[in-house]
Amino acid sequence: MKVRFNRKQLCIPYAAFLILFVILPLLVIIYYAFTNGEGQFTFDNLVAFFSSTNTIGTLIYSFALAITTTLCCLAIAYPTAYILARSGFRKKYVLLLLFIMPMWINFTLRITALKEILTAIEGNIAAYPFINSVIGMTYDFLPFMILPLYTSLLKLDKNLLEAAQDLGANKLRVFMRVTLPLSVPGIISGITMVLLPSMTNYVVLDMLYNSTYIMGSLIGSYFNGFEWHSGSMISLILLVIIFIITLVTNRFSDKDDNGGREVIL
Amino acid sequence: MQKYRRALFTGAAVMLAACSTMPFFGCADEEDAITLRVANWEEYIDLGDWGEDELIDIYNPYAQSPEEDGIIGENSLVDDFVEWFNANHDYEVTVEYSTFGTNEDLYNRLSLGDVYDLICPSDYMIEKLMYAGELQPFSQQFLDTADEENYYVNNVSPFIYDVFEDYNDGQGKTWNAYAACYMWGTTGFVYNPEFVTEEDAATFGILNNGDYFKQVTIKDNVRDAYFATLGIIYRDELLNTSDDEIRSRLLNDTGDGTIAAAEDMLKDIKENVYSFETDSGKADMVTGKVLANYQWSGDAVYILDEADGDETNPTELWYSVPDECTNLWFDGWVMLKKGIDGNEKRQEAAEAFINFLSRPDNAVRNMYYIGYTSSIADQTIFDYMDWNYGAVFDPSDEEYFDEEMTEVYEYDLSYFFGDGYSLYVDAAALGLDTQNMQSATEYLGEEYSNDIPYTVYRGGEINRGRQLFGQYPTANVIARSVVMLDFGEKLADINQMWINVRCLDLLDFDPVVVGIVAAVAGTVIIAIVLYCLRYKIFIKKYRPRKGYRMVSGN
Repeated sequence: MKVRFNRKQLCIPYAAFLILFVILPLLVIIYYAFTNGEGQFTFDNLVAFFSSTNTIGTLIYSFALAITTTLCCLAIAYPTAYILARSGFRKKYVLLLLFIMPMWINFTLRITALKEILTAIEGNIAAYPFINSVIGMTYDFLPFMILPLYTSLLKLDKNLLEAAQDLGANKLRVFMRVTLPLSVPGIISGITMVLLPSMTNYVVLDMLYNSTYIMGSLIGSYFNGFEWHSGSMISLILLVIIFIITLVTNRFSDKDDNGGREVIL
Repeated sequence: MQKYRRALFTGAAVMLAACSTMPFFGCADEEDAITLRVANWEEYIDLGDWGEDELIDIYNPYAQSPEEDGIIGENSLVDDFVEWFNANHDYEVTVEYSTFGTNEDLYNRLSLGDVYDLICPSDYMIEKLMYAGELQPFSQQFLDTADEENYYVNNVSPFIYDVFEDYNDGQGKTWNAYAACYMWGTTGFVYNPEFVTEEDAATFGILNNGDYFKQVTIKDNVRDAYFATLGIIYRDELLNTSDDEIRSRLLNDTGDGTIAAAEDMLKDIKENVYSFETDSGKADMVTGKVLANYQWSGDAVYILDEADGDETNPTELWYSVPDECTNLWFDGWVMLKKGIDGNEKRQEAAEAFINFLSRPDNAVRNMYYIGYTSSIADQTIFDYMDWNYGAVFDPSDEEYFDEEMTEVYEYDLSYFFGDGYSLYVDAAALGLDTQNMQSATEYLGEEYSNDIPYTVYRGGEINRGRQLFGQYPTANVIARSVVMLDFGEKLADINQMWINVRCLDLLDFDPVVVGIVAAVAGTVIIAIVLYCLRYKIFIKKYRPRKGYRMVSGN
C-alpha cells in the first residue's frame, strides 16, 4: 500500500496550526475585549483605554521608546550595511557574521551581559532608565535592521550608479538620488522588524531597571491581576495599531523584496 | 501493510502499559493507586543530592541509628515520601509534583481549570480560597494529637497555631482546620552596614529617602509595595501604638483615600528607588549594585549567605526589621475540594504528605536547603539551630567554633519553641543595644570542658542582625508584626492603583510642555500628509483647452 497525500491534505497541519494558535486566540481576545465580567457586550474597555491619561501616556512612552530605538538602529545599521554591501572586501562575510552572531545567543543572556557593561560605564544604571532601554533594545534588534538593508543594497544594480556618475553626478548626489531611493524597501522592512517588537519588549526594560510600563508590561499586569477584559482590549488596540503601521509601510515596500530572509547565514 | 500493523501493535502495547501505571488516564482502578497532584513554590522543597560534607551531625530520632546518622538529603523529599508512604499502606501512591512562581500564577491556573490535590499558597491566597469555599478541611485523624505519626499537629509551633486560630473562614472554622503552615517569616531590609546607617535601615522611610537616591530596591509586587507604603504613611500612628488591633487595622487599610495617598507615595518611591525588581534584587544586593533591598526574611537569609560566600568580594550584609511594623507571612499546605473530590484515600495521602514534610528531620532538611524557616518547633529543629548558630566553644569540634568569640547573647526563642528554649549566640551578629541589657560574666563551656569566661548579654530589644535574626526574629519584632489579609473586593482598585503608579501619567507633566509637544507632533504629521498629497491638493489638474481633447501617451 502506498500512502499518497494530495496538496489539500498536506495543508491540514498548517491550517490546524493557524486555527489553533492564531485564529482561535484572536477570537478569544476579541470576545474578552468587548465583554465585561458578566459576559455582556460592552464598549467600556475601549472607552476606559482612551479616557485614561495613564494608558495614553504609556502608549506615547512606548512609541517614543520604539521610535528612538528604530532611529538608533537605522543610524548604526545603514552605514554598516552600506560598507558591507559595497566594499570589495574578500572577508566581508566574516564581518557580516560578526554582526549577525549575537542573534544566535538568547537575548536575555545578552542583556544580562550588557547590564554589567553599562554598570561599568555609567556607575548607577538605574539613573538613566530611558537611555538604557534604548541601548538595550538597539543592541537587541540591530541585526534585524542590518539584514534587510544589506540585502537591498546588495541587489542594487551597479550600472545605475555608473550611469549616474557618467551623467555628472558627484558621490553625494549619486547616493541621494540613486542609492537611497532604491534602498527604501530595505529601510521599510527594517523599520517594521524593529519598531513593532520594540513597543512590547518589556523584558529588556525589566532587566535594565526601567520601572515604567510600556504596552507589553501593561497588558501583562492586567492579566496578572485577573483582568482579562481590559488586558484583551489593550492587546486588540495594539494589534490594530500594528496593523495600520504595516498597511502604511507595505505601500512603500518592494514586492519582490523578502526582508533580508535570503541571506545565506 | 505488515510494517504498519506491527507499529500499531507496539503503539497499543505502549498505551496499555502507560494506562496500567497511570490511573490519571482513567484506565486503571482507583483502588490500587493514587496520584497525588501537588503544587508548590519553585525551589521550596529539599531536592536531595547533598554533598557528604553537608551532613548535619545532630541527634536524629527518626534515623536508624539516631546518634550517628545525622540529617542529610540524599533523595528528593518527594521521592522519600512515596517510599515512606508505600511501605506503610496497602495501596500505592505516586506524586505529580509541579511548581508555580507567584500566588497569582497559581490562582490563574486554578481558575483556568487545573486540578491539584495539595497546594502551598501564601496566607492571603489561602484566605481567598477559603472564603470561596474551595478548600477541603482536614480530617479528624489528621488533627488527632494522640497519634504520634501526626507530625504536623504534634510539632507545629504554638505561636503559629495561635496566629492561625485568630482568623476564621466566616463560618466558625479557623485557619487551622484548613491549612498547615509550611514556612513563615517577616519582611525587612537587607542592607550593607558599610554605607547605610542603622537608623536609616530601621524605617520604611529609606524607600523615599533622598540620601539613597537610586540605591534601594523593592519587589515588583503590589502587596509588598503597598504594605511598605502604608508603613511610611502611618509611621507616627504605628510608632505610638502598642495595640495589635489598631496596627492590624492600619496595615490592612484599603479605604479609597488611603489607596489614593499610597498612589502618590508610590510615585515618589518609584522615582527614588533603584527599581521595582522582579528577580534581580538578590543578585544586585550580593554584587553591591544596591545598598538595601526590601525582602522576605527567607530570601534575606539566602542573600546574607551568598554575600558571605562571595569569592571575589565577600560582604557582610545585615537584615533589619523596620521600627514601624513588619509583615508576618505564611505559606501553608491546603487541600482543594476539586482535587480530593471526596476520595478518602486521596485525602489520607495528601495529609500524609503534610505530615511527612512536618517530620522534624525533614523540616530541618528543608530549612537547610531553601533557607526559610519551618513552622515546626521541636527539639531536633532547636538542635539544628544550636548546631548552626550556637557560640559556645567545643574544643573537640574546632571546625565550627571560634575560641575567640567570647561575647555572647542569650537568644530567647521561647515564644516559638516553648519555655526554656534559648540559645547562646555570637553577640557580634546581632544589633545589641548594650545600654539597656543585662550583662554578666559566666563560664558556659563546662560541658565541653572549656574554661573561657564569656560575657553574656540578656534581654533588651533586637531589631537587626544576621542569619539567625532573619530565621527567627526576636519576640519584640513579633510583637509589632501584622498579618496582611486579602484585599477582597478592593483588589481591582489596588491593582489599578499599581498600574497607575507604573504608567507614565500625562497629568504628571506640565500641561504647557504636553501642549507644545502635542502641537509640534500634530504639525509634523499634518505637514507630512500635505506633502504626500501635494499633487492632489495644490496642483490643478490639467484640463485641455476648449475644442481640444487630451490624447493619452500611448
